[in-house]
Amino acid sequence: PPAIGTTATKVLCLTQVVTEDELKDDEDYQDILEDMKIECGKFGSLVNVVIPRPNPTGEPAPGVGKVFLEYADVESAAKARGGLNGRKFGGNQVVAIFYPENKFNQGDYEG
Amino acid sequence: ADQNGGKKRKSRWADDEPKPVFQLPDFMKDFTGGMDMDPEIQALNARLMEISRILQSGQQLDDRPEGARSPSPDPIYDNMGTRINTREFRARERLNRERQEIISQIIKRNPAFKPPADYRPPKLQK
Repeated sequence: PPAIGTTATKVLCLTQVVTEDELKDDEDYQDILEDMKIECGKFGSLVNVVIPRPNPTGEPAPGVGKVFLEYADVESAAKARGGLNGRKFGGNQVVAIFYPENKFNQGDYEG
Repeated sequence: ADQNGGKKRKSRWADDEPKPVFQLPDFMKDFTGGMDMDPEIQALNARLMEISRILQSGQQLDDRPEGARSPSPDPIYDNMGTRINTREFRARERLNRERQEIISQIIKRNPAFKPPADYRPPKLQK
């Protein structure tokens, strides 16, 4: 199968964009969610934003640090990739890759 | 999440980076995207930012104690009689040269890189 990130899909994954500490804090988490919805909605119809949060138990949770953006169509996702890749979010340089839709739909954020 | 009484919270998104002066055709984008992730370029960029930060901070560039310093070259004075090759001046020159050198290397690897306005390409040696 082709490597993750090279085939265009409706789901965009921003890697290493948020820290575990930020996500633990409810307020920070809400702020991040809002920032994502506003900015990433500019590229097309954004239908879902998933930001995996760390387990309160401290066990490792899959996908923490990443942000998943699901668009209504591949074109919007591709546009968002062009517009977001390399931008800075909270000081982190965003890397945007396409994420397999089937994995995303299954709630598999391991990547 | 909004404690400023309705005042808009600043987004964590940095302002959009200025776009390169020319747009690359779509098929090139993956290529250049890959190049920005080139660890060598990232290392060069990191050093470049560090140098810029030092130069702009106005901090003492040479803070070695008197005894630990190497001997100074003969002083050079300008026509007003002010010494121009001070330790500070030479340290600044050294950083500036390294900065220009790094920019040259980045351009070599990524011709789409837009150098800062004060960058002067090196003169070709005869």
